[in-house]
Amino acid sequence: MKLRRGQLLVDPPASSSSDIAFILIIFFLVCASVQPETGLPQFLPRTEAKEEKKEQSKNLEVSITPSNIVLNGSPLKLPEFSKRILVALQAKTRPQDKVVVVKSTPDTPYDQWIRVSQAIDNAGGTLTLELESERTIIVD
Amino acid sequence: MKLARKKLTASVPSFAMGDIAFLLLIFFVILARVQDDSHVQWDPAILPDIKMIGAPLASVAIDSGYKTYLNGEEISNDQLTPRLNAILGETPAGERNISFKVHREAQAKHFEPVIQSIGEAGGDLIHILEPEATEP
Repeated sequence: MKLRRGQLLVDPPASSSSDIAFILIIFFLVCASVQPETGLPQFLPRTEAKEEKKEQSKNLEVSITPSNIVLNGSPLKLPEFSKRILVALQAKTRPQDKVVVVKSTPDTPYDQWIRVSQAIDNAGGTLTLELESERTIIVD
Repeated sequence: MKLARKKLTASVPSFAMGDIAFLLLIFFVILARVQDDSHVQWDPAILPDIKMIGAPLASVAIDSGYKTYLNGEEISNDQLTPRLNAILGETPAGERNISFKVHREAQAKHFEPVIQSIGEAGGDLIHILEPEATEP
């Protein structure tokens, strides 16, 4: 006669499951926090009021509109602008002459602006913004 | 005759410790997420040849509604420079990274005053962009 052996219930040890959960959470948190971002660094000269107007007039001037880019008076498209700014900046040796004064119309989209900014940066120029300042004049 | 009483041992039940730790973690994770700007709705501009960037000290964003945020908190442009000055403190130049997230349809009237404020605070501006997909 064959005797039936009673089946034993075996529970897996659950005492370390909280430690495992904790380690997993730390792992996913670290993964989420170190997700790299991509971008374009831009050097900004300290903002100051216009003083040396004569010195600034030597710098290249770029105007950006939603439809085109104007470099020293000539309207250009982005590929042509990239070439022209490279040539223009290569001719300048002093760092202060490589400053490019950028003026944008208020409706210039960021997409267009950042492409122009990248072209100036790639050509070795330092971008500076020319902003219209608001001034209240009280008239008697 | 004196009967010796059996000593009772009182142990703290540790069965629920894992659950408590888990709930505490969820709590701290939610607290930490309050300071980030992942709730800001914006679409990055797409540009070729962009680099990986290091960890910034602060994040300035302009969302699809053209509102400005500093570390996820809505802020007016007047308050931006003093708040950035407080965050950057005496951090040496080159380490004063400020990430700048601008919705791609924002216009110069929205983002240029913000760039000016970051410049006034002496921040090193990093435009956060999406790399252009290259043809295989």
